[in-house]
Amino acid sequence: MNETVIRTEGLTKIFEQGKKREVVALNEVNIDVSRGEVVGLLGPNGAGKTTLIRVLIGLLTPTAGRAYVLGRDVTEEIDYIRERVALLPQEAGIYERLTARENIVYYGGMYGIPEEELQQRADRLLDIVGLREKEDYQVKGFSGGMKRKVLVARSLVSEPEIVFLDEPTTGVDTIGARVVRNLLKKLSSEQNRTIILTTHDLNEVAELCDRVGILNEGHLVAVGKPSDIEEQFKAANLEEVFVGLFTGEGVYEQ
Amino acid sequence: MSMLSRFMPDRKMKYLVKKELKSLFRSRWLIFGLIISPVFAWLFEGAFLSFVVAQTTSEPSRVFITLEDEGVWGQTLYDAIETDMDELLISELLSITKQEGDEMVANRTLSVWVRIPANFTQELEYNNVSTMVIWVNTGNFRATAAGNRVAGFAREVIDEIIVIRDLRVSWRTISPEATYGHSLAVFLVMIVSVMAPSPYIGQSFAGEREKHTLEALLVVPMSRVRILVAKLIAGLALTMVYSAFTVVGILLYNWSIIARAVGLPLAAMDYYINLYTVNIAAIPLIFFCQLLILLCAISIGIVISSAAKDQATAESLNNLVLLVPTMVIGILGFTGSILQYGGLFGIFVLAIPFSHAVLFLNGVLSGAATAASLMVNVAYMLGFAIVFLIIGAKLFEREAIIV
Repeated sequence: MNETVIRTEGLTKIFEQGKKREVVALNEVNIDVSRGEVVGLLGPNGAGKTTLIRVLIGLLTPTAGRAYVLGRDVTEEIDYIRERVALLPQEAGIYERLTARENIVYYGGMYGIPEEELQQRADRLLDIVGLREKEDYQVKGFSGGMKRKVLVARSLVSEPEIVFLDEPTTGVDTIGARVVRNLLKKLSSEQNRTIILTTHDLNEVAELCDRVGILNEGHLVAVGKPSDIEEQFKAANLEEVFVGLFTGEGVYEQ
Repeated sequence: MSMLSRFMPDRKMKYLVKKELKSLFRSRWLIFGLIISPVFAWLFEGAFLSFVVAQTTSEPSRVFITLEDEGVWGQTLYDAIETDMDELLISELLSITKQEGDEMVANRTLSVWVRIPANFTQELEYNNVSTMVIWVNTGNFRATAAGNRVAGFAREVIDEIIVIRDLRVSWRTISPEATYGHSLAVFLVMIVSVMAPSPYIGQSFAGEREKHTLEALLVVPMSRVRILVAKLIAGLALTMVYSAFTVVGILLYNWSIIARAVGLPLAAMDYYINLYTVNIAAIPLIFFCQLLILLCAISIGIVISSAAKDQATAESLNNLVLLVPTMVIGILGFTGSILQYGGLFGIFVLAIPFSHAVLFLNGVLSGAATAASLMVNVAYMLGFAIVFLIIGAKLFEREAIIV
């Protein structure tokens, strides 16, 4: 559990909005993630969680600093990285006219997985997310939760070493969210996969994450085990930490 | 990786192409549009021209004629026209003086006036060439058709008598390089082709952005250029449906014209079928040219769609950018060769890739094109498409595409 698979050094991302205005989405973020860890990124909307994931997966280029994934610089060896990571985006769209199976298979095919292997993986993933019986239905008739399950299965079809999940249970019903969480736990504990997830659900963080990173206006204001962070902020739970940091309620000492 | 290998399809691209096509082929309205638009357009043209045929044949025209020539050939021609009035679908052949004719032209009160000039026989006997003048109101289909019938018939009369002699008709109402059928075919092929890929391109680029599917697609281990090429292949494959049904449409169109012309006097039937139908032998060339038009339209669409924020904006911009110049050159095509314009306007017209499609189609349909001129047209359209695809690729590779 000591091999570092993600490392950022002074990672900064600035978006130019027009000629005069700049938005600092990430401000000298330093974080290390070890293989097999589940790390939750917390923060209010616009804190920089999604930007951090997008930089790590090569969708955005850092303005300053460095980011390494699996030991490779994201600005130099993104093809190597993309073969080994997967992303479930925040507003993950789904191809509504394709069936659940086709969504998984076609996506996996773009990773160069052989057809036979691809079908076997699709079978397995559809079983896990409980959609085997509906595999040949076009996704457009699915509920939001079912779609999310298809997307989770789709993001895992390439059997990535690192999975980036941007709010994976948003819009999923309680039972569906439980299925997704169990799946993520299994991925981490049994297959030693690294999971980076963003969420607003603090219970999810407490249940799943080995460590938590709290972002605010591009700054990584705290990182560590949930219990360490609670202790650091002298709070009873993560919710108190979160509310205190972003609303100023309560007294916190670092 | 060599430059070429960046674009060559591989197994990963195959899945993206399959994904694109399956998604699109399940879009019933899009497919319906691709099938129905060429068939409907051609059937509409067939119905329109059948109406024109009906208008120009069911009610024979009144033709004015002036015989100024005192020689034998003018009288022979006059007598032949008078004898064959029924065959020429002329209801009344009214003899007038030149002065009366000039007055009617000035007053715009005649439709067709055939003038056999004073020196007609003399010119024909001494120079083997003579000129008959036909005045025609070109805004009147019936008059134009009647004038055409008289001109063709007069040539036959003169040729039957003295083969080596030549009758010329002083008349400039028909585009020198295309018949109505050709002009309309060119216009239809072009106008509908440029619009055909618009829904697909909008859906495949701006639509993916809008529906948030693009982000997941861009993180697969494929370069954006390959993603772009895969979408281009899917787009071209999809528009093949459109092209295939264009062929069906052309065949239906020809059938509708022939069905309407059958039953007319033989000469009139031949005249209309030759004037309006599209030569079957030209269909492969139309198909090829349509592919080039589609490629240019897709490349323009990719640029617009990669820059636009959402599908509706992309489709609106695409329609505007494609439709206006296409309408301009389509209309210009009916007034004669689009090469007739000079200066800045001429350069503007030739810069539009679809102008080269018009030149290409006019050239092959009329048989007037040379291999070199066709190559220039093809090279321009291909070059244009490549330049726009490169611009599209640059826009597609921008960070802003997902922000």
